[in-house]
Amino acid sequence: MTYKIAIVLDKARMEKVRSKGVQVKDLYGGYLKVIELEVPDELAKRILAEFPRARIDARGFIEETPIAFKRELFDSVVRMGAGPAAIEDAMRPEKLARIKELASKEDEYLPPPN
Amino acid sequence: MRMSLKVSQPPPHGGRLVNAVVDREEGARMAAGCPAYDIRPTIDPRTGAPIRNAYREVMSIAYGFFSPLDGFMTRNEAESVMRDRRLLSGWLFPFPIIFDVDGEELRGLGVKEGDRLLLRLKGRPFAVIDVEEVWRFDPRDVADRTFGTPERNPEVVRRRFDEKHPGWLMYRSMTGTAVGGRVHVINEPRLREPYGRFWYPPSASRLEFGRRGWRTVIAHQTRNVPHTGHEHLMKEAAFLGDIEPCNGILVNAIIGAKRLGDFVDEAILEGHEAVSRFGYIRPGRHLVTMTLWDMRYGNPLESLLHGIIRQNMGCTHHMFGRDHAAVGDYYDPYATQTLWSKGIPSYGLPAPPYDVDRGLKIRPVNIQEFWYCPVCGEIAYSESCGHRDKAERFSGSFVRGLIAEGIEPPPIIFRPEVYQVIVKWWRRFNYPFVNKRYLETKEAELEVELDPMEVTTR
Ligand SMILES: [Zn+2]
Repeated sequence: MTYKIAIVLDKARMEKVRSKGVQVKDLYGGYLKVIELEVPDELAKRILAEFPRARIDARGFIEETPIAFKRELFDSVVRMGAGPAAIEDAMRPEKLARIKELASKEDEYLPPPN
Repeated sequence: MRMSLKVSQPPPHGGRLVNAVVDREEGARMAAGCPAYDIRPTIDPRTGAPIRNAYREVMSIAYGFFSPLDGFMTRNEAESVMRDRRLLSGWLFPFPIIFDVDGEELRGLGVKEGDRLLLRLKGRPFAVIDVEEVWRFDPRDVADRTFGTPERNPEVVRRRFDEKHPGWLMYRSMTGTAVGGRVHVINEPRLREPYGRFWYPPSASRLEFGRRGWRTVIAHQTRNVPHTGHEHLMKEAAFLGDIEPCNGILVNAIIGAKRLGDFVDEAILEGHEAVSRFGYIRPGRHLVTMTLWDMRYGNPLESLLHGIIRQNMGCTHHMFGRDHAAVGDYYDPYATQTLWSKGIPSYGLPAPPYDVDRGLKIRPVNIQEFWYCPVCGEIAYSESCGHRDKAERFSGSFVRGLIAEGIEPPPIIFRPEVYQVIVKWWRRFNYPFVNKRYLETKEAELEVELDPMEVTTR
């Protein structure tokens, strides 16, 4: 089965994907801009195994992955486009180690918005 | 006999509300000379995190939320509940309510059947239990029989329960020694802020409904800060009344041990409160309340408990949605609606809870799903909107993901004033969701404060 993962775009991220030819989707009447990536079964299993809190929601989206993972994934999408290769890239061992270290801090503290 | 089409307030489940809270003078007399036992939390053996505190069950029993249950169950009663979902009196009840204790300490205290035990909380006298029976059980077996298995309950159970299921884990982590018998609260606690203003035990909520002139009231179960999908569920479901829409909407939040990543209890209550404080539902039609209970996530069984609690509180209707009180894929997503439309024979309910003897008198309102439809340009009901393939479904985890990334959710799915409540508690706890630190703080402080009380103990 194929799942999906979404990256939400704020203004700064919108700037970075402009002119990259990545398909941006409108959500909720255009209030939110997201990039949706298809995640093949095998890759989805790896994501769920690497991040214990990650889960598949009722829509079939992989949610509750570390914020650091979404950040890496976004950078990979900017460089490589919104395909499985970008996900593979964000899951490279050296990146995973860094993501997991940041993720453990994310469980302790998240800066409140101003 | 002429039957009116008007619906009126149902009697309490079992006929009368339990009130087992005595004044302090009486309480001191009741507890004098009793051995004392400190209530302690049930601990997740894998992580060391507190996952349940039986004090919440004492509160819900003594203040009448679980009427007609007036104490912790004996072996026979727990067996009856696991077999037929019936108390020994015959009234429907979904879960065994077990006061498990440290067996060795109990032996050390020399407690035997017929004795009375003083229960201390936060080091202070809190309640007494009249020891009707001390009994032993196999926690894993009780956990399995409480929730069911795919073989025994093929109508609704999809896969075997395991330690990833928080309710199963609670029973699995019990000590194996139980004390059954009636309980009384002898030192009435004060609820800490912000809980106090949401505390409406059944006798108080019934009074409040009367004061507001609410004849019909629909209950909304919550363990979440509401997004607009929840808000629409509340508003639309409330249209089903009798000769007019329901007069009142009662939000009843389950307050207790939470899972990592859930919203914190304080934000759940104040988030719902913000819905009417800022007029998205008129305040005169909306009341936010709470029940102390460590949720078992038992989907249809949990919905039965919800029906009991809210009937006791005086509600005429109860809304049930998809995946009601569920976690993971242990149950069929519509298991609760199966219970409330056809019954679940393997749980001892050959008919729905309102069509069996000594059943419930609250009317279910089974609702499917709300989503944002970009074609309709509105939040639409899944059975009304014809654009299923375009629908943007609500997802609590998606919203939590946005919040964690510091992005304010769009107003069409999340009211800005409700988001501000999350931010308020985020600043307080340095974190927007339940984490290990929150669980530990919550277990240390609980939801109540107790005054010192002089009791001469043995
Ligand atoms: Zn539509």
